[in-house]
Amino acid sequence: MTSVWASWITLLSPLAAALAITLAGTSLSRRVAGIVATTGTSVAFVAAVVAFVDLLGEDGEQRSHLDTAWTWLAAGNFRIGVEILVDPLSVFMMLVVSGVGSLIVAYSLGYMDGDDEERRFFAYMALFVFSMLLLVQGGNLLMMLLGWGLVGLSSYLLIGFHHERPSAIAAAKKAFIMNAFGDATFALALFLLIAHNRSLSFDALGEIDGASSTVRNLVALGLLGGAVAKSAQLPLHTWLPDAMEGPTPVSALIHAATMVTAGVYLIVRAHEVFEAAWVVQNLAAIIGAVTLLVAGLIALVQTDIKRVIAYSTMSQIGYMFLGAGLGAYANAMFHLMTHAFFKALLFLAAGVVIHALAGEQDMRRMGGLKRLMPFTYWCFLIGALALVGIPPLAGFFSKDSILAAALDRGALGAILFSIGIVGTFLTGLYTFRMLYLVFHGPRSVFVSEHHHRYHGREGPATMLVPVAVLAALSVVGGWLQFAGVWTPVTDFLDPVAEQIAEANTWKEILASVLAVALGICGMLVAWAMYSARSWRVPSWRPVRRVLEEKLYWDRLYDWIFYIPASWSGRAIMRWFERPVIAGSAIGIGVGARESGELASEVQTGYLRAYALAIAAGLAVLVLVFISVK
Amino acid sequence: MIVVASVGNVVVWAVWFVAAFACIGSALAVVSFQNPFFSALALIGNLASLAVLYLLLNAEFVAAAQVLVYAGAVMVMFLFVVAYLGGEADAPWAGGPSWHVIGAVAAAAAILTEIVVVIGVKAGDRLSREEDIRAAFGSPAEIGRLFLTDHLLAFEVTSIVLLSAAVGGVILGHHSRRFDDPAIADRP
Amino acid sequence: MLGPDVTWYLVISGILFSVGALGVLLRRSPLIVLLSVEIMLNGANLALIAFSRLHGESDGQVFAIAVMAVAASEVVVGLGLIVAMSRRNLALDVDRLTSLRG
Repeated sequence: MTSVWASWITLLSPLAAALAITLAGTSLSRRVAGIVATTGTSVAFVAAVVAFVDLLGEDGEQRSHLDTAWTWLAAGNFRIGVEILVDPLSVFMMLVVSGVGSLIVAYSLGYMDGDDEERRFFAYMALFVFSMLLLVQGGNLLMMLLGWGLVGLSSYLLIGFHHERPSAIAAAKKAFIMNAFGDATFALALFLLIAHNRSLSFDALGEIDGASSTVRNLVALGLLGGAVAKSAQLPLHTWLPDAMEGPTPVSALIHAATMVTAGVYLIVRAHEVFEAAWVVQNLAAIIGAVTLLVAGLIALVQTDIKRVIAYSTMSQIGYMFLGAGLGAYANAMFHLMTHAFFKALLFLAAGVVIHALAGEQDMRRMGGLKRLMPFTYWCFLIGALALVGIPPLAGFFSKDSILAAALDRGALGAILFSIGIVGTFLTGLYTFRMLYLVFHGPRSVFVSEHHHRYHGREGPATMLVPVAVLAALSVVGGWLQFAGVWTPVTDFLDPVAEQIAEANTWKEILASVLAVALGICGMLVAWAMYSARSWRVPSWRPVRRVLEEKLYWDRLYDWIFYIPASWSGRAIMRWFERPVIAGSAIGIGVGARESGELASEVQTGYLRAYALAIAAGLAVLVLVFISVK
Repeated sequence: MIVVASVGNVVVWAVWFVAAFACIGSALAVVSFQNPFFSALALIGNLASLAVLYLLLNAEFVAAAQVLVYAGAVMVMFLFVVAYLGGEADAPWAGGPSWHVIGAVAAAAAILTEIVVVIGVKAGDRLSREEDIRAAFGSPAEIGRLFLTDHLLAFEVTSIVLLSAAVGGVILGHHSRRFDDPAIADRP
Repeated sequence: MLGPDVTWYLVISGILFSVGALGVLLRRSPLIVLLSVEIMLNGANLALIAFSRLHGESDGQVFAIAVMAVAASEVVVGLGLIVAMSRRNLALDVDRLTSLRG
């Protein structure tokens, strides 16, 4: 099967690249290491395209191939194999991951040029692409969990890439620990599944119907916990803004386009479990809605350009959760794809700006870059318009169909719809605030002093080309599906995840009109406040305070988890560890030495004392022999 | 214990008593005298009385060897050394009964008591029936025969011991120039 | 046999042994200690001869002669040590020889 072995190539070529870079060490130049990584991911993309084309050549129902490399676990009649699944959903994700991934790795050739540890970076990037592909290609839940864990590891390694910075290390730890929480709930859900279904394969997921409602809800809740942690939704969202400590390509690849969307993929893949526990599925939708609102609000007061985009990511994934929670699986996946395009575009364009300003990320010091960097400006503008959802760019087609599906779901759906609409207003506002602050207005002092060109251009070609490609994709990527009229994406994914929320044309039009209108309102308000300066930015101090503190969520977690843990750690150290454990270890040594010194007092060196000891011993021994005999 | 009232028996008893007291007395003298010369002389007396006791036990050859070898050779060596060293004295009973003295006396007493008790309790009856002996019991011929047949190994090994002692003696007595140097002679 | 039983000789032997032990433990001059060791050896010899008489076999006497030979060798070495000690001007006092301390 062409698609099967093409899929194996997709999976393994980034791994081969990572291993090659690692094992070759310093015998590869830094540049060559980057080229190896880029080649590895590009080969993966080409193979993914081959698999896709091959899959299209088959009938709808035939498009599912499970290929097992070997049996990993076997206990009784419970078997888990090292297997990959080639079906529409996984091929869809493969294309997105390897495509956007190879663009970003190519971009990194320019962005990370000159860094001392460039080889390590590219090895980690290749490792990440492999892990993500394993996650989406895994043929059973255990393989998926393996990929899940590996992407968490890669994320940790890449966030903490600049390990001389304590803030980077702290951010990496925070991300990893919060993800570990999700991994734990994921694993617990798997245990329950094994207990009931005796299988972790995707076909057997539907059998969870036979379990009691408690078990169904617990399994779904466990999977949702993992998804929420990985996708940075409330309440496990605090790690994502801090993860911006990593280099910009990392933020683009991991924390915008691919890893954080793994939660959405999980919900869609395991949709049978969620459909069997509709309470939890509704909960997923509610979480998505709340997150998109909260993230949008916090993004309004951010000053770091990357953090604005990070909160934007959080918000957009909220939309995807909303879609998946409503049962609009294909819509959620479609939005995942378009979001990957324009979010990566925004990050990479921001990276060009940061690179040109020698590492500055604070928007308050920027301004007037429009004339200095026109190419970047236009690409950024395209990305921003796609994000807000202005037709005919990509975001319009994908976001609005999610909102329309909400209308199909009764009262709850109506509430969620309203929240989603408000979210589009906020999206317009914060996105264009960012655009105006960075690019419009007079040239700031900082920019005048620090802006530098790269050989007469805005940046190296390896950075500008991927940006251009992503800009093109952000324009045309949405044209793959026009709800109600032409739905190849939905049809493609239908055998895997059947949509259960379909809006009729009337609702689609209403949703689209409202969304676009509010988005434009947000843009206009931003223009008024930040560009034309005709409206004063309201300084509602208490509200601003709350938003700047990210709704005090970090403080809350500090109080609940960090402070008790560190207090109890110190207490245990003082009262138990030092006196008892270290004390006993030291005490054994001290005791041995002291008893040795005590024993050595017997050796006085006196000959007569020794002789007396012999005589006395003799007397005692004879006595013993007599009495025993 | 059957006392045979005959002249021979009485003589033997009398000789025994004299030899026994001489033996024990001289042993105590060895331990008590301050002057090592006198101690050595007392030991010679001890060895002689032991030889008499051996004779009473029909071990003629051993008695002769005792006098010749022990009293004759070994003690002469001792006296040579005592004369060479000049006889430093130490007072064993001075300074009052320290714990060491008490301990030593107690240990020695315990050993003695145990020996007597063991012999008495364990082998009391068997000790009173002696075997009859042949005429050649303690003769040199008998000893020599045993050495060269039953106890040949002991014979040879003893000769090796003597050889090693002779070698040791030569080495120990080797006059090394180094130690005549006054600068390093006072090392403890 | 004429005279006392073997038992009496054994008692003498025991007394000799104890007196010798006492001498080893109490005296400080190495010469006297060596003499005391000789007494102990003689005590053992007497026991051997007595038992040989008891059993009517001469093996005990053979053993006693071997003991005598060994005692002679030991005296040679011991005296050699003492002479060597005095040549190096060490004090002839066993209480002062404490370099094995500790």
